[in-house]
Amino acid sequence: MTRRVVLVVAPFVLLYVSLFVGRFDIAPEDVARMLASLVVSIPHDWPESVATIVLQIRLPRALMAMAVGAGLSISGAAFQGMFRNPLVSTDVLGVSAAAGFGAAVAILLDRSLLQLQAFAFIFGLLGVVITYMLARVYRTTPALMLVLSGVIVAAFFGALLSGAKFVADPEAKLPAITYWLLGSFNASTVRSVVTIVPAIAVGVAGLLLVRWKLNLLSMGDDEARALGVRTEWLKGIVIACATLITSAAVSACGVVGWVGLVIPHVARMLVGPDHRALLPATLSLGASYMLVIDGLARTATAVEIPIGILTAIIGAPFFAYLLRRTSATWQ
Amino acid sequence: MRSDGHVDVLMTTCRIAVVIVLVGLGLSGAAAQSRSASSVRIRTLTDIAGRTVAVPATVTRVADPWHANNGMVLMMGAADKIVATTLQAKRQPWFRKLFPRIDRVPAAFDESGDVNIETLISTRPDVVLMAYGGTMPKWMPAADTYGIPVFMMPNTSLADLKTTARMTGEVLGHRESARAAEWIRYFDGNIRRVTAVTSTIPKSERPKVLHTATGTILTIDGVKTVVDDWITVAGGINAADVISNARPVTMEQIAAWNPDVIIVGTAPNEANRQAIVSDPRWTHIKAIRTGRVYVNPTGVYLWDRHSAEAALQVLWAAKTLHPDRFKDLDIRQETKAFYAKFFNHTLTDAEYETIMRATAP
Repeated sequence: MTRRVVLVVAPFVLLYVSLFVGRFDIAPEDVARMLASLVVSIPHDWPESVATIVLQIRLPRALMAMAVGAGLSISGAAFQGMFRNPLVSTDVLGVSAAAGFGAAVAILLDRSLLQLQAFAFIFGLLGVVITYMLARVYRTTPALMLVLSGVIVAAFFGALLSGAKFVADPEAKLPAITYWLLGSFNASTVRSVVTIVPAIAVGVAGLLLVRWKLNLLSMGDDEARALGVRTEWLKGIVIACATLITSAAVSACGVVGWVGLVIPHVARMLVGPDHRALLPATLSLGASYMLVIDGLARTATAVEIPIGILTAIIGAPFFAYLLRRTSATWQ
Repeated sequence: MRSDGHVDVLMTTCRIAVVIVLVGLGLSGAAAQSRSASSVRIRTLTDIAGRTVAVPATVTRVADPWHANNGMVLMMGAADKIVATTLQAKRQPWFRKLFPRIDRVPAAFDESGDVNIETLISTRPDVVLMAYGGTMPKWMPAADTYGIPVFMMPNTSLADLKTTARMTGEVLGHRESARAAEWIRYFDGNIRRVTAVTSTIPKSERPKVLHTATGTILTIDGVKTVVDDWITVAGGINAADVISNARPVTMEQIAAWNPDVIIVGTAPNEANRQAIVSDPRWTHIKAIRTGRVYVNPTGVYLWDRHSAEAALQVLWAAKTLHPDRFKDLDIRQETKAFYAKFFNHTLTDAEYETIMRATAP
């Protein structure tokens, strides 16, 4: 019970903390009053420039980090259940590679940030549609075919991405592509939160709605079918939701690895393998984890540290530790 | 049995073909070596890495994998000698306008300075001119094998820019050397003219300047760069204390720096400027409130980087940062005089405006 309370409360506490921690010192009580001023009218006795930092810079960024962390984690958990494989994460179907290529094209063409996000999103969806069509065999999509098709699509778009980097101007565009691929929430604005977070929310809601059926699916396609689950339909929904989330996430902040792989394992240790409890737990843990990581990324140095570096540096050893502790008992 | 015989014949033919090709390659290699060894007089020059580099007494074919330096070579009147270049150099609109033949020069180098060695060999360069970042290019052994000298030049400050101009001139020949010297005199004159005024400006009156390197993904130029140098010369202070070019920084770090002036580098400058001015997160930054967000001019190359026009950049930056102190400085007139003198091109007013807006002519 206390565990459940902690899981519900933690992301919101961290959200509050991340609003007054940063390169710019702002008192926690000022932040509280500024937040309150969003809903009730209280006297504005703080400088507008400070309000800009809290409400226009930190708040959108923190909300985006929460949404992306939660979204990638729940998609990872759903995929691990669906593929019955603990090594699967959200980009198994090639979405990150395809979306990354889309973003690189936008940078090469000098597009605006909004167009870059649209490119990444559309290419991400396109990549998974190709994977899905490649994997169709007699109106079914066996897990093995999906994974192999995903490898093919990821390799293909990976090569296109390398091509894009190959022709990019090394003084300006190449660093921009490289940096974007490593992930950052610096581009978060109120507008991007309003456009991207709802897309992630739809995907999350979809996964939450079918989460009890994932328990059946994780016993295997044949067993699930025997129990009356329309497995192809269910797989389609899971893939569509996870792809929506991941494409939106990549378009928001670039490619962020490890979160979708590691957080579901942590959640499984805390609440067990039952997807009914597991999926909500990944939401909380993913959001909290990403807030902490992004807090480090934006406060540790004047130069922003790419998210992808931190998630891997912290995620990989942590994953190794988990593997040693819980080897072979992931289900 | 019959088919085995066929296979044998085929194999033998293949072997013979391979031997012929190998011998041919060996002979042509030897021929190339003997040509460079016997018939050409050699000069030796010392590059910035401290290497002694032997180049032909008369350099007529130069490979230039350094985008910015292509414009320098053009300024020295030697663009006809460029036999290999980069895609980025070929794409510069003003460079193409003034030297259309660049369209027919192969881009032997990719954007990171790596090379297609076969293309490079086929262009028969007398020398390769390169920016030195502390390491030699990884294709050096191949260039050595084919007797292609590689000459390294420095690239991290305004002083380096002058050294590079001098070195480029020396490599290219007497005429180019004289041209480089002329340009360096002009550059030094401009720096003296500007610092005579800016050196007396107290620190409190020096604006904090933020120079953006890229727009779509915002990056900033820090200290220990050419950009930092001309900001200082022009009487400003680089708002960013990070080191090196094109560094990603957080929005709130920019808010903490709170620059007085923002200069937008790299195409598409005007779109990037608009993105900054219309972004609600920037609203309270001083430069936006006071309307001091400028597009950096771009001509044959980006004025703010390693270009011949860096000589104009110091004037433009000084006038932009301190309009009251440089009332008598006419950038339009200086720019027209510069292009006429160093690029043999008479700028129209419309062309001048495209340079100021950093758009294609």
